[in-house]
Amino acid sequence: MNSLALDLHPPARRRRTLTWFPFAALSPSLLVLSVFFALPMGMMIGMSFTQTETFSPTLDHYQRFFTDGLSIAGFCRTALMSLLVAISVTVLGYPVAYFLARSTTRWRAVVFALALAPELAGVVLRTYGWLIILEDRGFINDLLLHLGLISSPLPLSKNLFAVVVGLTHVVLPFGILSLMTSIQGIDPNLERAAQMLGASRLAVIRTIVLPLSVPGIVSSMLIAFTMAASAYATPALLGGAGFKVLATMIYEQVLFYIDWPFASVMAMSLLLMMLAISFVGVRYESRRRSRASVSSGGER
Amino acid sequence: MNRLISIFYWFSLGAVLCFITLPLIVVVAASLSPTSAVTLQPWEWTGRWYADLWSSRWLDPFLASVKIATVVAAISGVLGLFAAYAVVYERIPGSDALMSCLLSPLSVPQIVKGVAVVLFLSMIGLQGFLGTPALIAAHVVLALPFVTRMVATSLANFDANLDRAAQVLGASKLQRIRLVVLPMIKPGVLSGVTFAFIISFNNIPLSVFLVRPGDSTLPITVINYLEYSLDPVLAAVNVASMAFILAVIFLFEKIGGFSAQLHGGSK
Amino acid sequence: MLASICLTVSGIGSESAAAETLIINSYGGPYEGIIRERIIEPFEKRFNIDVVYDAVGSAQQDYAKIKATKGQPGFDLVVMTASQSLQGCKDGLLEKLAPTSIPNLSALQADLAAVAGECGAVHEVQYLSLLYRTDKLATIPVSWNALVEPELSKRVILPTFQNIMAVYLLEMMSVTNGGDLIDNVDPGFDAMAKVSAQSVGFEQSSAILESYLREGSVWAMPFWNGRAQLMVDEGLPVDYISPKEGTIPLVATLNIPVGAANKEAARKFIEFFLEKSSQEAWVAGYRVGSARGDISVPDELKDRQLTAGPDGDRLHLPDLLRLQEKLPEWAERWERDVVPNAR
Repeated sequence: MNSLALDLHPPARRRRTLTWFPFAALSPSLLVLSVFFALPMGMMIGMSFTQTETFSPTLDHYQRFFTDGLSIAGFCRTALMSLLVAISVTVLGYPVAYFLARSTTRWRAVVFALALAPELAGVVLRTYGWLIILEDRGFINDLLLHLGLISSPLPLSKNLFAVVVGLTHVVLPFGILSLMTSIQGIDPNLERAAQMLGASRLAVIRTIVLPLSVPGIVSSMLIAFTMAASAYATPALLGGAGFKVLATMIYEQVLFYIDWPFASVMAMSLLLMMLAISFVGVRYESRRRSRASVSSGGER
Repeated sequence: MNRLISIFYWFSLGAVLCFITLPLIVVVAASLSPTSAVTLQPWEWTGRWYADLWSSRWLDPFLASVKIATVVAAISGVLGLFAAYAVVYERIPGSDALMSCLLSPLSVPQIVKGVAVVLFLSMIGLQGFLGTPALIAAHVVLALPFVTRMVATSLANFDANLDRAAQVLGASKLQRIRLVVLPMIKPGVLSGVTFAFIISFNNIPLSVFLVRPGDSTLPITVINYLEYSLDPVLAAVNVASMAFILAVIFLFEKIGGFSAQLHGGSK
Repeated sequence: MLASICLTVSGIGSESAAAETLIINSYGGPYEGIIRERIIEPFEKRFNIDVVYDAVGSAQQDYAKIKATKGQPGFDLVVMTASQSLQGCKDGLLEKLAPTSIPNLSALQADLAAVAGECGAVHEVQYLSLLYRTDKLATIPVSWNALVEPELSKRVILPTFQNIMAVYLLEMMSVTNGGDLIDNVDPGFDAMAKVSAQSVGFEQSSAILESYLREGSVWAMPFWNGRAQLMVDEGLPVDYISPKEGTIPLVATLNIPVGAANKEAARKFIEFFLEKSSQEAWVAGYRVGSARGDISVPDELKDRQLTAGPDGDRLHLPDLLRLQEKLPEWAERWERDVVPNAR
């Protein structure tokens, strides 16, 4: 599922003097995750296969998911929305991440703060801010109407567009940070050397920076996709009743209909969607790496 | 051509920064507007919503959130550092599978995690654990994958030759970890801890199910207030808490920036 | 007799002990300010009990929490509605309340008290009203069908289905157009599809719904009459009616989860809230109706509030337990037939 673990240059044949230590280091995390994540999740998954009243095994909840039409539609909306968010976060985040990774001026701290700012404002207020901007009587429509460019308000809110804008804003800091960490790992001397040898800026970006930051790009897209797919407040407020995604629908099942088995079925579908996406990411990454090792092996 | 590229780069950087700040400017304007209708005319602005913040109604949840976020950042920072070290640096057997385990909570929507924890604890008869302890545990589960991923990324980009060089020069394993590995991954760890703090501080979906009555966190108090009233005190609350978090980040970035300069110089 | 001794004894007990605490889960917003001033503060003073007020969650959310924690949600007393009271009694998650320990329960009108069953103490009644802008509408609406008049095209805002107001509106549209409350709601869905086409969309929160009417971009919507009255009191150009086809009451209740830590204090609170003077203070403050028939109501509220039980022909009372069971099915239908028509 994760691409990063594969992206290693394992130190050659190190002596295993402290073999017990890594396991000890790992165990607290695994303990916390099993008690507060794995076991509860296991119980919920069991629930999705269980009759509510009699506790006998059943596939009814799954059947309902595939046949009611609404659930599948919600699933598709979620996938589309998350994909668009993943792309826009990575595209918009890249220049900022590059600046943060390379700049040594005092502006770096300013941009760093600005890049993280959306995360600080809290989801509710950011979403509220976007509502004020995108609403029928919001800033943009007001301005366009005033300038006479449109005669009736553009439908900017309560739809896919608004949710993607809002979620991109929410997730952007996470994308920027993972891109930044990855770009920081690229030796700046490579770029300098290429430029000294006469490569254009474009060539440097295309042949050095972008390929070497692929782990960051993949991880940014993975983070963005998963965060978008499981976000609740933003789709709920900016998408409204007209654009329901799985997370909103799960929320309703849990907090309103108190139908936990069906909520777990929906959660399972979301989980599978994310696993599939991560799998694609990992495959891509390992193919890239095997190509890279073949070519570098040839040079050696 | 180079010039064009550089113009495009600076333009896109500026555009993205505008995109990021636009809704925040709107929110700040909202916090200064006398009514819930946002005004951008500074001469109409008022500070009275900020004066309203100094009451236990907003201070108590704020302090509760700070306490919880601090504990969550500390726990998940230590756990995430150890976990990434074991999996990525030591590559213990089955490390890929273990990494997937460590990151798996990311794939599950928070609300489901929250409900699962509540149901699980009450099913095994530990209702008494619900409330702040369960909330902290759930936030750690939420933050840990991010911390682990960030530390792992910096470990993965870490130049193993430095480590090998230290080894050749006779450094012991503990020395190498302390003198080579830790300083190199410090930015990753600090970003991770900062993130853990923010994630916990702003969390809504898990907290909704886990806060104990009377021990509510700030965002939960805000959304409950929003349910009933739209007055600009909400904008003021968020601007104030944003200023607080900004201070926290500057603190961390100061430490991180310092260390970055250090090992930049040692190269 | 025995009960009064118990009460006296426990009363003495609480006075001698250091201040007890009572954790109340209720609502925020205007509700909170009014309940604090008119009920909680006098209660604290009289019984020397500290009240911790928690505004988290809607009634249905609170019930989800009680269910998830098997009756130990961390609060001692919760404000919900008759639907959750019945459900909670059935699921064994709410304490049964009896006049032996809460004498004022017997002062409630029997038919209204019965709506909430054995586990809920009815402390207020509201009804679904039709709220409208007096400065925008040419004629005063009289029927629920006013919502489908061309005059209101794009001038209606609707609650989402998660807000129980939507369910009640659906039922009233059903009754208005020849259907009934539970078994034949097809006319209701047909009518709601038309209302949805008239609407500018759906909102979950009462505060946001209210803001549309406040700023005047929307001219009519369904709303609880107490909240509507508070808007009228503010001097906004709005008014509300109970349409000629009748309406559905919202019966609000006080409940005690079975696993509550301070049940005794919770019972005292219920007893206090149902007292004549408290009910009068509450009715005057939150502009709602009371289940007590013997209280004096401010004149301006008299003919606008529910004072009688559900026997009047203008009040329709669905079978709330069956309604709870229907909700998932109706929610799907709402998504399919009603929501897509908006905009």
